[in-house]
Order: sequence, then structure tokens, then C-alpha cells
Amino acid sequence: MEFQNKIRKFILENYLFSEDESLLKNNDSFLETGLIDSTGILEVITFIQDELSITVEDDEMIPENLDSVDNVVSYVSKKLA
Amino acid sequence: MSQKNSLKNINSIVDIVVDKFNIYSDKVAIRHHDIDYTYSDLHKAANCVATYLVSNGLKVNDRVSLIMANSFEYISIYYGILLSGGVVVPLNTAAKYNDLLSWIKHSDSKWVFSDAKNKEVNHLIPKLYKEVEFIILGDFNRISHDEKNIINYKNIQKDDYTKIKISGNDLASIIYTSGTTGQPKGVTITHINLLTNMLSILECLPIEDTDCCLNVLPFYYSYGNSILHTHMMSGATILLENSLLYPHTILKKIEDEKISSFSGVPSTFALLLNRTTFADYNLSSLRYITQAGGAMLPKHINELKECLPHVELIIMYGQTEATARLAYLPYSKLGVKISSAGKAISGVVLEIRDNLGNKLGSGEIGEIYAYGTNIMKGYWKDEILTSSTIIDDWLKTGDLATMDEEGYIYIVGRKTEMIKSGAHRISPLDIEESILHCEGVAEVAIIGLDDEILGQIIKAFIVQKPGSNIGIRDVQRHCKEHLAIYKIPKIIEFIDKLPTTASGKLKRFELRDIH
Repeated sequence: MEFQNKIRKFILENYLFSEDESLLKNNDSFLETGLIDSTGILEVITFIQDELSITVEDDEMIPENLDSVDNVVSYVSKKLA
Repeated sequence: MSQKNSLKNINSIVDIVVDKFNIYSDKVAIRHHDIDYTYSDLHKAANCVATYLVSNGLKVNDRVSLIMANSFEYISIYYGILLSGGVVVPLNTAAKYNDLLSWIKHSDSKWVFSDAKNKEVNHLIPKLYKEVEFIILGDFNRISHDEKNIINYKNIQKDDYTKIKISGNDLASIIYTSGTTGQPKGVTITHINLLTNMLSILECLPIEDTDCCLNVLPFYYSYGNSILHTHMMSGATILLENSLLYPHTILKKIEDEKISSFSGVPSTFALLLNRTTFADYNLSSLRYITQAGGAMLPKHINELKECLPHVELIIMYGQTEATARLAYLPYSKLGVKISSAGKAISGVVLEIRDNLGNKLGSGEIGEIYAYGTNIMKGYWKDEILTSSTIIDDWLKTGDLATMDEEGYIYIVGRKTEMIKSGAHRISPLDIEESILHCEGVAEVAIIGLDDEILGQIIKAFIVQKPGSNIGIRDVQRHCKEHLAIYKIPKIIEFIDKLPTTASGKLKRFELRDIH
């Protein structure tokens, strides 16, 4: 839950430029909403790596792992398990 | 007999595409989200759109706007509009309300086809519904449709199409591009422009009806548009993938779907090379790739050649004002004509001229002028800009280059200050105008900085109003609301004053030095 709040805060601050929590749903697809562009997704990966001291492997950079807050949280939970 | 001679009585690409609809009726034309659509499906859907538009009063040369991401429906509607005699106005789906409103009004579009998921549509409808009919695709309930002029695309089912006579000089499309004046800049493309340029491109590329092309480029830009038409005119299959957000999925698709061709702009290949490992995938099905939309770094060209030794890399150069393409570099010349954008494609003549319009010799730097049946008719409702861009039927491209003795061009820069980031050409003025409306901003200047992936990224220099205390976040929030995502500056810096000449003109080059 703590990481979920952190990733939400990161996305809100850096891509929605807002603190309004209602603007971001946990299942919003970054791809479909156009929230993040191709350089933005790299920033999200860097954030995950720095926060959790894990490495996101090249072949893990897929929508199933990264395309929404829910997907990111589920991915890192599995990774840390 | 060349393809052109056998097509003497044909005025439009739709004549050829409809022929393919019939010849390849059961073959897959489009694959999207794992759904196959045959040429016959495409034919029927296009006919339904044409039937609807004609029965609702569309006359030849009436404009119809699209606010749609690449999809089977986009293609059906595009060809449906052409079959009806209408003019396709494909709008950038990342654009915000102000730009969309200005393009729809400027083009006098009477119909707008739009994805329901595009958030700007709900703002456009109250403003335009009295004069424009909106036809909505996708979840109709997302749109407030109390007004009469809002139609659900699902209800367009009737195929009662009878052929409409179209002349080669009728308009086929208006494509809005970034201008340097802040005014809408609509490039008008006739049916003959489109037909002749697509036929010339087909002479350069080894497209076969057995090909399956993976397309990531938006069809609302001329490069993506040319990929669509050349493949549909060849009876090939296009697999749609609408984002480069996850580059691995692109290579996985090439492997799984046995893709034979792929096209991109320099940033497409920079992303793939930097974020994936080609060796992890079996890419043996790939026959050729094309690259346009600006010069690719020689380093990336060499890396691609090393990663894909069996694949032909074909470099192309073009402009929206020339329908799509002007020049190409055959694969056999890639190692010889290093850094060249190629030589003129069939039907096109290129010259390098000085500021007075005099033709220059080989090796001398000047502006590229282009002549051919693919050169646009002009800018929509802008005779002044048209007459300063097309001189005696020659298009002034704004690109600076040299030409060698064999006619190969080498681009060295642009005359205008347009920023090229990813697949986008961005006018600094557009961004400056928007940021000037942000509270607390007194002056702003935008520059493009070199970036290995995107070509250029956007930087804003801002001078605050006295007493103002705005932060970077305030400016970013303003941009997010008013500008397409690709126009939002990646870097923002506050400075005390902008460097100007004695007459007050911004010295943009000095800002680059400051950086």
C-alpha cells in the first residue's frame, strides 16, 4: 500500500501536475489515456528501480507489468515476493 | 508496360483500392487487437460510410474531419469519405480543444468522426453541434448526446453506394501541420497528388501482396498515411500497433506475426535500439524497413545494419506539402551515399537553389525546391502563404541541403525554427502562445535541444511578471491542460530576461548557448 501511494504521487506530480487524487484511477491505462509518453515510461521505470532497489529487466517492460498503477503494484509485489 | 501507363483512366487511389477490395476480398487487410478484417469487410464498411454521407447531403469537395486513432474503422471511414467525393481532414488525436476547434472551423467540416474516448470531444460538441454532425465511435455513453447532431457510428450500416464521379483535381485531403504564424496551416492534397505519389512510392519499395506490415505511425501524418495507401493498393496486410510505449511488444509482434516490413521515424529506431535486444527475437521474417521523418544518426543506421543483416533499410525523405515522399535512398546505396536522404523518386524533380531562386551546382548549400504532380494544391484558404511557398509550380521545402553530381541530396538543416521531436514537427510559437496565457508569465521562449532518442526535446525559458511567484509545476499544469502531450516542455528554466536584438527580436540561438 505504501508503494502504491508513492507511485500514485509520482504519476500525479509528474504527468498530471496535480495533487488531486481523483484525477488518477488505479486501473487507468497509461497507454489508453495518453497520460505517459515513451520517454515518460522510462522515468516510471527509473522511479520503481530507485524506490525499491530492484532492476526492471528489458523483457519485463511490457504493458502487463507497467501500464497502470494496479499493474505496477502487482508486478513489484511479485518481484519482491 | 509501366504501372502508370496501365492506369491512364484512373483519377484516384480509391479506384485502385476498390479493385483490391474485390480481388483480395477474403484476404486479411487489417489486423488490430487480434481481430482480422478482410478486404471485403473494409469494402463494405467504406461503402456504408459513403452511403451515409451522400444520403445526408455530402457534395464533392465537402470536408469531413476525423479525430481517431489508427483502427480498422479509421481506414473504413477514410476510404468511405473518398468514395463519397468528400475531403478527409485527419486531425492529430493528441491535440487539445483549441487546436481541434480551430481546424474543424477552418476546414468548414460538416461532419466529424471521433473516438468516444477522446476527452476533447465532449468540449467540442456543445460548441459545434449546430453546424457540425458528430459521428461517435466506441462507447456512445461516454458522450453527452442529447443534441440532435450526435450519431452513433454503429448505426451506419446501410450499403447502397453508387459510384461518385471524382476528378483528379478534386481535393482528397487537408492535412493540418504546424505553422510559423500561429494560423491554421492546412495542406490541400488532390486526388491526383495522392495517386501519383503513392504510385511513385510503390516503384521504390518492394511491397508484395504477401507482405504483412507492422504499422506504429499515426495515419493522420503523411508518412503513416502513405504506408496505409501503398499497402492497401498492393493487397498486403497491415497490423496496427498504436504505441511505442513498450518497445518489446513491437519486436515480439514482428516475431509472432511473421512481419515482413516495418516503418519508423528516427526516434522509433532509437527507442528499439536503446531499449530492446534484437538478438532475443527471431526477426527472420522481416524483409525491409523504411525510415523517414528526419535524418537518423549514422550510429543508429550502423547498429540496425548489424542487428538486422538480412533486412533492407530504405531511407526516405518527404514533406506533407509533397503529399508524402520526395526522395529515397535505395538499400544498395546506403553504404556509399552515407548520410544522404536519397535522390528524387519517379515523377519528382529536385533542385538546390539560392535565396534568389537560382539553381546551385553540386556541393553548394541551398534550399531544396521540388516539382512534380505530388506537390500540394496550396494551403487551405491562405493564398499569401501558398504564393510564397509554391513559386512557378515549384515547392520551396524550407530544407537546406547539398546535392551531389548523381542527384543525391544531403540535408544540412532547416530555414525555419521548427522543432522535430519524435514523429512530430512542432512550432515554438504554438507553445510560446499557450504559455504566455499562464498567469504570472511575462515572456517565454522555446527552443529544441538535441536528444539521442527523440531527435529534439523542448525547453522553455520563462521570464516572470514582477511580483509573480509561479513555479515549474504551475507552468507544467497549464501546458498539460492546453497543449498536446508532445508539446509540453521537458525542461523549464526561469531567467531574468530573454536575449533580444536591438529591434527587440528574440535571439533564439543565444538561448541555445545559455543552455
